[in-house]
Amino acid sequence: MSLWVDKYRPTSLGKLDYHKEQANQLKNLVQCGDFPHLLVYGPSGAGKKTRIMCLLRELYGPGVEKLRIEHQSITAPSKKKIEINTIASNYHLEVNPSDAGTGDRVVVQELIKTVAQSQQIQSSTQREFKVVLLTEVDQLTKDAQHALRRTMEKYMATCRLILCCNSTSKVIAPIRSRCLAVRVPLPSVEEVRTVLTNVCRKEGLSLPGELAKQIADKSGRNLRKALLMCEACRVQQYPFSADQDISETDWEVYLRETANAIVSQQSPQRLLEVRGRLYELLTHCIPAEIIIKGLVSELLSNCDGHLKAEVAQMAAHYEHRLQLGSKAIYHLEAFVAKFMAVYKKFMEDGLDGMMF
Amino acid sequence: MDEYDEMYGIEDDFESQFADELEVLAEIDTDSRPLPKKSERRTRVPTSFEEALASGDSVLRTQPASLPVSAFTVLSFLHFPAPKAKRQRQDVVKKLKFDSADDGKEITPPSSPEEYPSEIRSQNSHGDSRTPAVTPGALDISGLEVLQASPQRAVRAAQHILHRPPPVGDFISVTGSSGDRVYLAKREDEDASDGLAFRRSQYSLGLLSVPIEVLKEQVAERRHQQLVEESQRLTKMLNSQVDQEFGEMDSEEPAEGKGAQDEGGKDAASRLWVDKYSPAHYTELLSDDFTNRCLLKWLKLWDMVVFGREKSTQKPRPTHTDSRTQDQQTSRFKTKTQMTEEILEAELDQYHRPKYKVALLSGPPGLGKTTLAHVIARHAGYNVVEMNASDDRSAELFQKRIDTATQMKSVLGANERPNCLVIDEIDGAPSAAINVLLAIMNRKETRDTEPVAGGGISSALKKKKKESILMRPIICICNDLYVPALRQLRQQAFLLSFPLTQPSRLVQRLVEISRCQGMRVDTGALMALCEKTENDIRSCINTLQFLHGRGQRQLDQRTVQSVQVGLKDQNKGLFSIWQEIFQLPRTKRKRVGDDLFAVVPDGGLGSAGAQRLQHILHLATSCGEHEKLTNGLYDNFLSMKLKDSSLQAVCMALDWLAFSDLLGEAVMHNQNFSLLRYLPFLPGAFHLLFAATSVPRINYPNSHYEAVTRMQQTRNALVAMLAEVPPSIRSRVGPRSLSLEVLSLLLEVVCPKLRPVNPQLYSTREKQQLVELIDTMMCYNLTYRQDRTPEGQYRYLLEPNVEDAVRFPGVPPRRQLTYQAKQMIARELELEKMRRAEAVLLARNPLPTKADPKSREKRLPMENHRQRLETILKQNVVESKVGAAGWRVTPSAAEGEKTMTAEQLMGKAVGNSDVWFRFNEGVSNAVRRNVYIKDLL
Repeated sequence: MSLWVDKYRPTSLGKLDYHKEQANQLKNLVQCGDFPHLLVYGPSGAGKKTRIMCLLRELYGPGVEKLRIEHQSITAPSKKKIEINTIASNYHLEVNPSDAGTGDRVVVQELIKTVAQSQQIQSSTQREFKVVLLTEVDQLTKDAQHALRRTMEKYMATCRLILCCNSTSKVIAPIRSRCLAVRVPLPSVEEVRTVLTNVCRKEGLSLPGELAKQIADKSGRNLRKALLMCEACRVQQYPFSADQDISETDWEVYLRETANAIVSQQSPQRLLEVRGRLYELLTHCIPAEIIIKGLVSELLSNCDGHLKAEVAQMAAHYEHRLQLGSKAIYHLEAFVAKFMAVYKKFMEDGLDGMMF
Repeated sequence: MDEYDEMYGIEDDFESQFADELEVLAEIDTDSRPLPKKSERRTRVPTSFEEALASGDSVLRTQPASLPVSAFTVLSFLHFPAPKAKRQRQDVVKKLKFDSADDGKEITPPSSPEEYPSEIRSQNSHGDSRTPAVTPGALDISGLEVLQASPQRAVRAAQHILHRPPPVGDFISVTGSSGDRVYLAKREDEDASDGLAFRRSQYSLGLLSVPIEVLKEQVAERRHQQLVEESQRLTKMLNSQVDQEFGEMDSEEPAEGKGAQDEGGKDAASRLWVDKYSPAHYTELLSDDFTNRCLLKWLKLWDMVVFGREKSTQKPRPTHTDSRTQDQQTSRFKTKTQMTEEILEAELDQYHRPKYKVALLSGPPGLGKTTLAHVIARHAGYNVVEMNASDDRSAELFQKRIDTATQMKSVLGANERPNCLVIDEIDGAPSAAINVLLAIMNRKETRDTEPVAGGGISSALKKKKKESILMRPIICICNDLYVPALRQLRQQAFLLSFPLTQPSRLVQRLVEISRCQGMRVDTGALMALCEKTENDIRSCINTLQFLHGRGQRQLDQRTVQSVQVGLKDQNKGLFSIWQEIFQLPRTKRKRVGDDLFAVVPDGGLGSAGAQRLQHILHLATSCGEHEKLTNGLYDNFLSMKLKDSSLQAVCMALDWLAFSDLLGEAVMHNQNFSLLRYLPFLPGAFHLLFAATSVPRINYPNSHYEAVTRMQQTRNALVAMLAEVPPSIRSRVGPRSLSLEVLSLLLEVVCPKLRPVNPQLYSTREKQQLVELIDTMMCYNLTYRQDRTPEGQYRYLLEPNVEDAVRFPGVPPRRQLTYQAKQMIARELELEKMRRAEAVLLARNPLPTKADPKSREKRLPMENHRQRLETILKQNVVESKVGAAGWRVTPSAAEGEKTMTAEQLMGKAVGNSDVWFRFNEGVSNAVRRNVYIKDLL
């Protein structure tokens, strides 16, 4: 428990640092007794999980923090065994069904069934329902999501679902309509700064305000990242100085270099180099949609006004196809090639315009 | 007749009524045309139809043809041959259209644009069948064609696009992708041929191997032919009925003639030409002379064994010198021919058998390997026994059959010739069977040793073996010499690979055959046929017979190219396919393509391109390994010498790849395998985009595989790391956030600056930092593991090795801990782990080991060797006396009490001996390790 991220994580709704109004609403939700299914969504590092755990604590008391890891094996109808790890307390069960890959439908159904079919023993003192927490719901296959629809309604008496995901766009509408959607937005820069300063004070360190702001900026308001960056800064150099360089994640640096390589030269040879770099990113388990997103944001900063719209449209087109297909590298490279072609043409036209 | 009724129903009466007239008309037509052959009666008629049709079409236009029957009646009264009228029936759409064009009242004009293409098409076919040449003046772009055209074309034809509905006439509304609606005025196209011309220019790169016009023509012709046959049959039937009515005048004669004809036809049909015209003698062989000679020579080598001593016992005379061994050519480098010759000149073994007992013929199918084997064996005086893939080839049966074939001899019948076994298609035989063959071949050796050891007990068994020495030649035939099962055989066999047949010889033979069959052929067509079948004799002859069987008495190049038979469905290696895709074909192939598309005069790029496309499509389809093929294309296309400054071709290629990926996904995910047929178009597109004249350098595609493996490695490292993480952290960190956010920074965090001194000397702050570091690493399941590099140096690596999972090449390297620091951390981690494990153990069962904790607590600090030494020091304070003989150690204590434990021993030794070492005195403490006294004693 010694990373700052883990050490100073708030454990109750009252202690949350930001979006306090939302925290209050959640508290009221628990107290009024009629607890619905929840769909908690928001970008990574906004504190969704923290908020959910606080909520569970509010529901069940400190007992939910006694977690254990359970290895479950589920047999699919096709006699295929699926091994999956769940994190459970006496009151809830957390699963990441997308770990099971294409077999996630079976996992979802079986787990919820087993949880829902066991009644709480002391329903007088406790809540009459358990909670199943499904993470990364947007990675679920459509099959699994459809399987969830009915299960959600059927076991409403004994079981509540809390779904956690980054974006609702990949969650099918029937599920969205069955849940109370709770959006957890990223904290503002100011809020990140406050959190960082508080943490440093608890650690007995003094964090200069400028550095805190820089960290908040560089982390993209991702609080987890900001805290890790801050701790890395601490390890690097203490006492802090305001202009100390903040270490970034390697893949971001690498992606930026890739984007620069694309802009600096447009030729098949360069494309070949870029392909190597894209492969490198993919093999480091960086999801393809994040690569394309990073590339676009880097490339756009190099583009002229009306080129921007075109590039953004292209990116959308290729990302869509990326989702449909299975070999990410083709689509990524197709996007890069297309950008190269467009950019080159634009530059040449601009050159011609200057000459004549 | 029944069939006919079903098909044509109502016209039946008409046919039977006017059959006589038809017959007469047809005869008149034939008389008017000079025709070369008497057997050409069937094909003659359709051509005359065409003419008649062309002339009669104007009449047709005026006819209200809402009902086909009425049209036919009118036509027939106009004294046109009825089959031609039936020819019209297939173009009902066209006729309807004529009506609407002329009066436009009887039939409502087509309201949807979909009808127009078909209309145009039907007109095309019509126009094409009549006038193959296109008048250039007819190239008018009417409003109708805009529908088919690409957007650019629509812009060019802007005068036909209206922004509001035209006040008069039909129109079609079109809504663009941007939402604006335009109206296209409909106008009937004046000339039927301009649609065709347009189509030609637009789709010059046809996807069909044969232009649609040609196909339609063929269909029309076939229909004609059917009709003619029908009419003839009808006539005959009518005649016979008439005959019956008017007595039996000539009834017998036609019947007889017909019977004879049938018999002849049946005979011709039942026999394959391949068999009919297969060479019977050595001189008739088509295959390469050298190959023939070699095989014959090899077979002749057996003469000594087989024919020389037929009446003597199996045992050969040992004192025999053959004059076959002639002086060899002493050139250093032997050509392959010379090598083969040499093998044939080689000495016979002790049984006078040639060195190689088996000849192995290899080569692509249809070159006449089997024929050669048969002919030569017969020529050399053997009786051929053949085994092929149609026989059961399990090991036992194989053995049995080989034994019977090689040891027995036919007694019945006149030909008392020795057998020669021909094993055809041996590359398909199971390896067990081939091992049996090998065993039979090598039986000689076993026999050599046996007479020496010939005992009484197993003599029966050995006798059996003695008898079964291979004394007959065996010829094996295979297509693929490099099948794994054949590996052994390959080394022990006389290898003879078949070269391709000479096209000139093949063509000559084909000419002979077709002359015998009364087919008119020209050499060019036959050359094309040879090229298409890659000089496969069997395929050529079969194609000829097929065409002949379909009633074609004349062969030209176009037919050859358009027929789908004769194309070999053979596998080529992946590399050769990639090569063909990236390389423009030599001019030789082009020639054939030009011939094929000579009918399309304005083909332009299309002619050669379409031919090439077809070729690549065929290759890709027959290859089947699309996944690998695609990977190879993807890996290699950027390394080609691209002359593509604007990157358009590259974009297109990548779009194709993306498309094929989607296609593959659709196929695999939805199991919609009918989509598989579109996969071969990717290689075609690559060929058209990137083919160059230079020879491409193809590398085997492994990037994809490598990427998958490495991704798996990374993922495994992450999963391994997460597996042991405590649940409270595990619930916050998934593999995804680990690789994206946490890990890179975490590794930074676990590399603090540590002073390179003993941790005991750390300040409290530093100690605190170390404890935190250890704690963090424990939480995230990281340790250091000692590893030895290939150079022999030791280093500490993270375990699980997530370092590789987040670090990228080329990014400035992160600060690393020193070896010492890592060593220290690793040690502290181990200690901490032990401490925790102990704590867990204590927590689990505190009661029974109540006494233990105290002792343990006592012992715990003692684990540190320094403290232990101090206690020892306290116990027995002995001053060190290191004299001149300091290294001479008194062995008595150690040797005398071997049974003592190490601890005791040490204590004793320290107490008893007068040797004492003190550490830490004037020594740097950079390197410290435990040295036990007992090691020094």
